[in-house]
Amino acid sequence: MRALCWNGVNDLRVETVDDPEILNPNDVILKVRLSTTCGSDLHLIDGLIPTMKAGDVLGHEFMGEIVDVGRAVTKVKRGDRVVVPSFISCGQCWYCQHDLYSLCDTTHPKPELQEPLLGYPTAGIYAYSHAFGGYAGAHAEYVRVPFANTDCFVVPDGVSDEAALFISDAAPTGFMGADFCNIQRGDVVAIWGCGGVGLMAQQGAMILGAERVIAIDRYPERLAQAQAFGAITLDYTQVDVVEALKELTGGRGPDACIDAVGMEAGGTGLQNAYDRVKQALYLETDRGTALRQAILAVRKGGTLSILGVYGVMDKFPLGVLMNKGVTVRTAQQHGQAYVPRLLEHAQRGELTPAALATHHFSLEESPTGYHMFKHKEDGCLRAVFSPSTA
Amino acid sequence: MSDLVSETSLDAAAEASLTIGRPAEELRALWLRPDTQSRIWADFADVTVSADGSADWTARGPAGGEYRWRTSVQDIDQGLIRWSSGKGADIANTGTLAFQTAPGDRGTELHLGVRFDPPGGIVGEAIGKLFHIVPREIVSKALYRFRALAMTGEIPTTDPQPAARKGGTDR
Repeated sequence: MRALCWNGVNDLRVETVDDPEILNPNDVILKVRLSTTCGSDLHLIDGLIPTMKAGDVLGHEFMGEIVDVGRAVTKVKRGDRVVVPSFISCGQCWYCQHDLYSLCDTTHPKPELQEPLLGYPTAGIYAYSHAFGGYAGAHAEYVRVPFANTDCFVVPDGVSDEAALFISDAAPTGFMGADFCNIQRGDVVAIWGCGGVGLMAQQGAMILGAERVIAIDRYPERLAQAQAFGAITLDYTQVDVVEALKELTGGRGPDACIDAVGMEAGGTGLQNAYDRVKQALYLETDRGTALRQAILAVRKGGTLSILGVYGVMDKFPLGVLMNKGVTVRTAQQHGQAYVPRLLEHAQRGELTPAALATHHFSLEESPTGYHMFKHKEDGCLRAVFSPSTA
Repeated sequence: MSDLVSETSLDAAAEASLTIGRPAEELRALWLRPDTQSRIWADFADVTVSADGSADWTARGPAGGEYRWRTSVQDIDQGLIRWSSGKGADIANTGTLAFQTAPGDRGTELHLGVRFDPPGGIVGEAIGKLFHIVPREIVSKALYRFRALAMTGEIPTTDPQPAARKGGTDR
């Protein structure tokens, strides 16, 4: 089959690789109908995350059709159109039973690579370096999906392939970030980043009853999409974000702040220059401008929900969190806990993830798609690939 | 000399613990199934269990070397399984697996310990250099795989389909 392979920093090529096969009783093989780029892929492509290997097939956000099933698979069948969350979860262990699916205790084939970094291994994930399991990704004609009974969700009629695609990662990640905020009547939620995850966090916060959602970014087309979703928008290059948020909240500050940006946050001023130099010298991987602003902006006793992906960061303003009594919630997506309700929200038109699909490419054109996505060319919000159509 | 001995013995022993959400009785039965042993130690050694419960081990060294030994179970009681290698072992060793009830609804705590006694010719050599993985990884990975098997009936793998092409190197 054809697949998009990583061959080194910024070196992506579409190659012919072996077709996947059923390896374990709970596996299925999916014919990938759609897959998409994620901001966290850029960390891998840019070499900010170690334990990538030449030939790694990328892609962790996808949907498709089941074409082969293992003997223990009972809940889905050949021909089903399904969406699959990015983390591989068994559904049986203590973490899965407590809806903490990305922390699954049993799906990491190489826990010895991750345990020294995190203390305990997490769930395996598709195409996210060998320290996260070394599973092959979905920018390919076919992908092997373990634990199909837990991880494959049949897409109902009325939900398009494009909408279902983002219910693999952007939507459950964003929705979980909003869920972390324990939104109450009258709450104002500020969200840094209007990429796929940030936009889905905005819709999530609205569904969960936020009085007002404020979206922060610098790219006009992304801010326009946030506005179309009903958010108030702030361009951080034009205003002092912390002051603007006070102004918009009668001096209280947002009840909850969501960081949907992560380690490659842009910014302005001296702090940004300092962060960039340290990142360039590999003294730290994270710039964190958005996170620092969110910590300052959130109201006293408010909630900080972190969805952005981070490595290590120095000069972290822990004292500010402590003195303000901020509650911090964070996780990689516990997608399996949210996908069923997200499919229902999409069916009812309350969640409109297909809006993220701004650019379409064949698999053969996927390196171009990543280039456009990385450089945000032509207002590219997400590049969507169709691996099983030539 | 005493420093050398203590360093060697530290290096040659490893322990790991984890918790599995199943009753001890069920886990003990699963552990003693012959195919379980061959599956959970697969990264470290080929293990073949005979009908009498003894097991033949072939562990791989980093440069293609192999070490062989046969173990037999010495003790089984409600809370502990103990095994050790017999005469003629390339690298003598002993192992214990202890079961304790975990608090609340968390199932059973497992404590796995393995101790290697390097033979005379290589006394003082770090045991970690004999095998292709260090003792700490040997025990923690065996337990991880055992938990996966106990909870899901399978062991997570990408073999022979890793994301990278065969022979792919870290970049």
